[in-house]
Amino acid sequence: MRPELKQWAAPGALLAATMCAVVFLWSTPFLWMLVASFRPDSFGGLGMASLFPDFVPTLKSYRYAIEDGDWPLWFLNSAILVTGTLAVQLVTISLAGYAFARISFPGKEALFYLFLLQLMLAPPVLIVPNLTTLVHLGLYDTLIGVMAPYWGSAFGTFLMRQTFRTIPKDFEEAAIIDGATWWQVLRHVLLPLSLPGLTAFSIVSVVYHWNEFLWPLMVINDPDKMVLTVGLVSFAQGAEGASDWGLIAAGTLFIMAPLFIAFTAFQRQFVNSFMSSGVK
Amino acid sequence: MFFRSAVGALCAGLIASSAVAAERIEFMFPAPVQGKLSREMQKLVKEFNASQSDVEVVGVFTGSYDETKVKSQAAAEAGKPPAVVLMSANFATELAMNDLIVPMEQLAGDTDLGAMMEEFWPAVRPNAHFAGKVYSIPFQNSTPILYYNKEHFKEAGIEMAPETWAEWVDAAKKLAKPDGERWGIMMPSNYDYNGWLVQALTMANGGQFYNPVYPGEIYYDHASTQGALKFWRDFAHQHKVMPTGVTDSKQVSTAFFSGKASMIVLSTGALSFVRENAKFDYDVAFMPRNIRNSVPIGGASLVSFKGTSDAQKKAAWSFISWLTSAEKIGHWSRFTGYFAPRQTAYDLPEMKKFVAENPDALRAVEQLAYAGPWIATYNTVAVRKAVEDEMQALLSDPELTYRTAAARAQENADKVLAPYAEQTALSLQ
Repeated sequence: MRPELKQWAAPGALLAATMCAVVFLWSTPFLWMLVASFRPDSFGGLGMASLFPDFVPTLKSYRYAIEDGDWPLWFLNSAILVTGTLAVQLVTISLAGYAFARISFPGKEALFYLFLLQLMLAPPVLIVPNLTTLVHLGLYDTLIGVMAPYWGSAFGTFLMRQTFRTIPKDFEEAAIIDGATWWQVLRHVLLPLSLPGLTAFSIVSVVYHWNEFLWPLMVINDPDKMVLTVGLVSFAQGAEGASDWGLIAAGTLFIMAPLFIAFTAFQRQFVNSFMSSGVK
Repeated sequence: MFFRSAVGALCAGLIASSAVAAERIEFMFPAPVQGKLSREMQKLVKEFNASQSDVEVVGVFTGSYDETKVKSQAAAEAGKPPAVVLMSANFATELAMNDLIVPMEQLAGDTDLGAMMEEFWPAVRPNAHFAGKVYSIPFQNSTPILYYNKEHFKEAGIEMAPETWAEWVDAAKKLAKPDGERWGIMMPSNYDYNGWLVQALTMANGGQFYNPVYPGEIYYDHASTQGALKFWRDFAHQHKVMPTGVTDSKQVSTAFFSGKASMIVLSTGALSFVRENAKFDYDVAFMPRNIRNSVPIGGASLVSFKGTSDAQKKAAWSFISWLTSAEKIGHWSRFTGYFAPRQTAYDLPEMKKFVAENPDALRAVEQLAYAGPWIATYNTVAVRKAVEDEMQALLSDPELTYRTAAARAQENADKVLAPYAEQTALSLQ
């Protein structure tokens, strides 16, 4: 028995070692940022590129970051932005996904593919037309204006259509026999069974909008409505001089902290939502 | 008693509401140097708002120079033209050609613009004018300048900063240590900086980079530009005193601070930053010459977009003239390291005291006697990029020749300029 076990153990250890190496490689940028944020000489210097701390750590960069930025305001604005975007998206993608998955009407396929074309458009192309629409709607320089263009999500609709299609029709038919209307079917049968799909979409949406820079920069003028990414750039950008890497690292860690904490806390649920799709 | 205080409150309310009726305008500004500048700019805006009650300026941070152009242009096209924008100085020509910004005559009212522009250094005036009109008011300007580590110079036995290209190469060879342990010279070759420095080298090589009076012509495939391309490339591949490949401005300043580079070329806009962070004895010098001393202007100017109301135009002017006053422009220069484009700023006592204490701040001003305008053509960014792509290729590929690179840059730039040339110079009916 014993030799056999050893034979298995060797490749296992090798696999573990390889995995560790990959994990280390993937986390390098994060580790570097962590080290850089505590480095005393944060404008560079020979040790700047080093991944291993070779200094007495200091909280100087964090202190500057806290002093320089209006963090509570920026966090609040970013939080409003992502929740406002996601809340409406969840309603629209569920309804649209349901329509494309279950209702039959003429030209459905064509309309669906036309809808998917949205995914092909690069967002910068839409800056001027979208801004024009916002000005006409009176939403220029508002957080709602930043959210609005994302309320109809082609990706989300596609995802929900696929998720609904994996749910057997028998479930709905049973509910309909019991006298349920279509929205009751959607609310009480389809949506609870689609939670993994909804969660997966929510993660993608929240991370994307939390980190987005260009579009909020275009829409928002009022400093009181500034979001985290624009705020960080406003005090940490450098083109003609050099950048204070320590300050940038500390600021970036602030920005990613909520997402990082959420991911660590709900890791299992997150992974499951991507692994499972619909009903087995 | 009660009645009287109620009337008093009402009157106070009326006064307050008339104060609220101040014309509100937006001022979009980028932060091309450190973020510290964007906070200082917000402070200036607050100071202006507190100084009077007719105009309320909202300071809007807009990212980099290029993002500022995208944001203000998109806002204007969407029907929300910004009243004042701090724009890269060489974009004004293109914005004026496309009819997006208004000539300052429309804003200035009773101000004698001609007399006002006379107060600015002659070198910054061409970029502010287009087709005989003033389209922008210079605010923060720069030239490329040579920063060098005096301790390294002493160690290598070099007495003075190089003045000619031959001395420059010689010094770089003496300063460099083998295998990139220390570089003799480093220059940023990322976009924007790259084209600016190719222009600086071309001018120092006796040439003219573009046609400053007709925005449809560029001189890439000419001897002076070819020589500039070859000279820069040779630092990396022939003399091996500069790293090969593309180096951005942050790498350059970091290498300088850490003693990995003995000489660097950067904007004078980085001067305050270098002064604060260099922990060794440094100095600044003119860009070395081959045929003549000459550098292009850089930096940013204030423009106003088309489509604002008369009241907004008036408000914009009151802010522009306040911000570009000798006192404020001098304050900004001391804070950043940019030179003050308004000559009169240097007559003020604070400025005299400052330059006496920091003589390095005068180098860019002295160099102004030899400065010329910054490349400004039809579709400036694309035309600039044509030569930048080739310069980057030259630094990366030792096999590529400067002749091929110059010819390709010319061909690509001409393609970009073709529509304008055909509409104007080639349209002969």
